[in-house]
Amino acid sequence: MINVGILVLGVAAVALAAVALRQGTDTFTRGVKRAVEQAAHLVPRMICALIGAGFVGKLMPSDLIAQHLGGEAGIWAILVATAAGLVLPAGPVVAFAIAAVFARAGASVPALVAFITSWSLFAAHRIFMYEIPLLGLSFVRLRVASVAVAPVLAGLIAMAVGMVVTFAQPATG
Amino acid sequence: MTTTTEVDDEQREPEAGRLRSAVAGKAWWRELLSIGFGRSFWGFLAFAVVSGAACRLVDGEAAFFDALTADVGLLLQTAPRIALALAVAGFLWVTLPRDRVTSLIGTESGLRGLLIATVAGVVTPGGPSSAFPLLAVLGASGADRGAMISYVSSWAILGLQRILVWDVPFMGTEFSLVRFLVCLPLPIVAGLIARRLPLTLRLVETQGGGR
Repeated sequence: MINVGILVLGVAAVALAAVALRQGTDTFTRGVKRAVEQAAHLVPRMICALIGAGFVGKLMPSDLIAQHLGGEAGIWAILVATAAGLVLPAGPVVAFAIAAVFARAGASVPALVAFITSWSLFAAHRIFMYEIPLLGLSFVRLRVASVAVAPVLAGLIAMAVGMVVTFAQPATG
Repeated sequence: MTTTTEVDDEQREPEAGRLRSAVAGKAWWRELLSIGFGRSFWGFLAFAVVSGAACRLVDGEAAFFDALTADVGLLLQTAPRIALALAVAGFLWVTLPRDRVTSLIGTESGLRGLLIATVAGVVTPGGPSSAFPLLAVLGASGADRGAMISYVSSWAILGLQRILVWDVPFMGTEFSLVRFLVCLPLPIVAGLIARRLPLTLRLVETQGGGR
């Protein structure tokens, strides 16, 4: 199925490949190698995570998700989603697999925006592995205080925009 | 420069650095295998197996095969997007030197400084193992706290590579675009808040320059 997403990605890939080629075949080869290395790392894990998330999606009561993260839940959905993103100590494979499960179960766009924003800002493993050792606790404190409102704000902006424009439920696939 | 990959569990992958210097021969393919089926892979496999078993036990055989076929369908649909996204990320990585991106930050103050930091965060490729060391260098070279916060928030929320590799395949193009636009002002807001907060900031001495 050809859709806009694939088209945009395809054009971007070709354009960037051309830029890399102009910089020399060596740059081009390094780009290809990096892509293959990332694929080697990600694809096996992604397959497991997607399949696992599908089972978890079946296990999780979807009416509960729809009730707490759906459009009807309003601001409550944004708060629940923010909390869910906050406590998720995992990398992007798990986070996005869960987001896809939420989307399939009927979570609203503002809730999904809040969830992804919250996870990307507060991913706990990242704070412990990189931020504290490299920048220190006082930086973490400053950053957390500065971005504390961001996920809820993002959800609220999405909600406000949603009153003017209607979004399609995110396609998961 | 230590080379690092945006990995699923966002951990350092030392093998990846070795690879780049190796010739694309047999050794490289062997390394690829060891990257693909490294320790954390088995964790993911265990997750899939355990959740599958739980699904089979709780919801029965029909639900199990239902979920499995849905997953395989989803995988097949997602595969071309992931392949393209990885190509984009790979070429972005080699054509966009990260040190040049960050050298722009901290040269401007005021709102302009925060804007530049936000743009730099969007285009910085790579996972936390490349963003945080860069941030440490920024801090050591005296960038203001607002710019530092804007930069790292922007990288976390709006990072282009993250959006290409994760948002677009998993959530679709329209949602990714909506999320990007909705979140666009957030790093600047965070930077403005950081400048006004009465918190003392004492950065860790960067060992070995952080690189």
